Amino acid sequence: MHAVDSRPNPAEAPQAPPPRHVARARNRSQRDSRVAWLLSLPTLVILIAMLAYPLYRMIVLSFQNMRLKELFSGATPPWAGFDQYTKALTDGVFWGVVGRTAAFTVVSVTLSVLLGLGIALLMRRVHARVRIFMMIAMMFVWALPQLVAAQSFRWLTDSDFGVLNYVLTQLGFDYATHSWFVNPWEGWAVITTLVVWAGIPFLAISLSAGLTQVPKELLEAATVDGASPWQALRNITLPILKPLLMIVTTLSVIWNFGLFTQNWALRDGHPEPVYQTLATFSYTQAFGRSNYSYGSAIAVITVLLMLGVMVFYIRQMFKIGEVD
Amino acid sequence: MTNLSTIPDAGAVAKPTASAGAPRESRRVNPLGGVAHLSLFLWALVTVGPLIWVFLASFKTNEEIFLDEPFGLPQSWALNNFGDAWSEAHIGQYFLNSVFVVLISTAGTMLLGSMAAYVLARYRFAGNRFIYYLFVSGLAFPTFMALAPLFGIAQAMNLLDSYFGLILIYIAYSLSFTVFFLEAFFRTLPHEIEEAATVDGAGHMRRFFQVMMPMAKSGLVSIAIFNIVGQWNQYLLPVVVMQSESKYVLTQGIANISVSAGYQAEWGQLFAALTLSILPMILVYAIFQRQIQAGLTSGAVK
Repeated sequence: MHAVDSRPNPAEAPQAPPPRHVARARNRSQRDSRVAWLLSLPTLVILIAMLAYPLYRMIVLSFQNMRLKELFSGATPPWAGFDQYTKALTDGVFWGVVGRTAAFTVVSVTLSVLLGLGIALLMRRVHARVRIFMMIAMMFVWALPQLVAAQSFRWLTDSDFGVLNYVLTQLGFDYATHSWFVNPWEGWAVITTLVVWAGIPFLAISLSAGLTQVPKELLEAATVDGASPWQALRNITLPILKPLLMIVTTLSVIWNFGLFTQNWALRDGHPEPVYQTLATFSYTQAFGRSNYSYGSAIAVITVLLMLGVMVFYIRQMFKIGEVD
Repeated sequence: MTNLSTIPDAGAVAKPTASAGAPRESRRVNPLGGVAHLSLFLWALVTVGPLIWVFLASFKTNEEIFLDEPFGLPQSWALNNFGDAWSEAHIGQYFLNSVFVVLISTAGTMLLGSMAAYVLARYRFAGNRFIYYLFVSGLAFPTFMALAPLFGIAQAMNLLDSYFGLILIYIAYSLSFTVFFLEAFFRTLPHEIEEAATVDGAGHMRRFFQVMMPMAKSGLVSIAIFNIVGQWNQYLLPVVVMQSESKYVLTQGIANISVSAGYQAEWGQLFAALTLSILPMILVYAIFQRQIQAGLTSGAVK
């Protein structure tokens, strides 16, 4: 990963270059450098304006104390130092939200990766036509906007008219007007089901593409040598799949840790305290209560926590790069 | 890194047809086959069940949705709900807005992202890794955090209620993953062809557009689908930028139907709008079907 080009370009880096060549190569590499900057410049400008600058603004805001008054008057909010951070870090409610978000992330990512891997493995065993049908079905779920999926689930679990209660009642359980969000465990089960359901297609599609890279000969040889399917999976398939598995797992962690749309929509835009995640909590503090600086501080802490995951991610990529 | 690129690779390698794979599949008699089929069938049911429910409900009246059997067929297959949603709830307008924005922003993302990924993967220059990590760290940046500052920027640059502004923002928020993915992909492409083109006197632009882009086609298609899906699904970003109702995108329109009217709402319209929102993805699938299927069957033949 460090070197841009793992293979040295023979034209630019000959083993024992005559001086004239060196000069030409240097000339070319200067020109290359200009072209490189030119080609990535538009991208950089957009990224800095739309991503880096908001991040910077948010960090500044988190050290101030901005309320409605400053928002309307446009006056510079008073400097507050680390007050917002102290407030968050000493607040039991905040830590409750952190714990809840982390627990949800662990459970939902574990479930979706395991199920996604399971489905990807099963898809290798069935007829090509079945596989294509499965892919189409999963493409649709993957293509469903989060908001749409959340709205559908809100109706599926509606206490009066929901399909879920209807089906359970038909099966002989007393769920006629059962509300799924009174008990937080049940509510979170619904949210987790939604997130896992919507997350599996991406994982299963990526992983089944990754599985095509596992050499059949290797698996067949293992079977001939008397390896059980489980041993073949553990010792051949999973090691080959590991880099891809790491990447999709980390992506899932990042996505699920930032859970917003699903619990927001399922709770109708007003998540109760027990259904708050870091994302909705930050948003509610900033915009619901006009506590913009406090919301920003929470968001900054969220990013720092995410960056922790990213460091792990990039390290993993370094390792993979070395194998290359 | 190589393994991430297996997703597009699979599509590139696979020229063989499904018929070549089929005999081999059937030759392999597998006791687990039955279990696999049954589990997949159950998963398929869970996957498409809610979708079928939404689709059926989009043809029903409020009474049918609430009082009849959920999976019962509607009394008529008339397109009333779709028509009402299209014109009364302005879903038609929002739908077209979404199509317009996503088309341009995906094209922009692909152009800018592939250029940046190409130079990051193939050119040595000072600051290369710095730019790369800048992009990658964008992956950890949660959208909701940027909402307030983004509003400020959009206001300052006069980009509120402007499609151009929304497109720029979509591009910015898609670039991280695009560059990250394509950089890995460009790295795996052979250097020899590019070198040959250089020897033949092709300039940077020509090398990029006429040599690299065609070679990277399967990778570009994969990431383009990813971006189309992602941008079509956006809800928070347009909420910030598109404030006047005539400029809403589809997700805003759907939220509008369900939030504004409560129990008075025409729920059939809501479900019709939900169904409409899935349609373009069917189209995308139809267009890229061959690439996607090629990626699938390659495994069977290998």
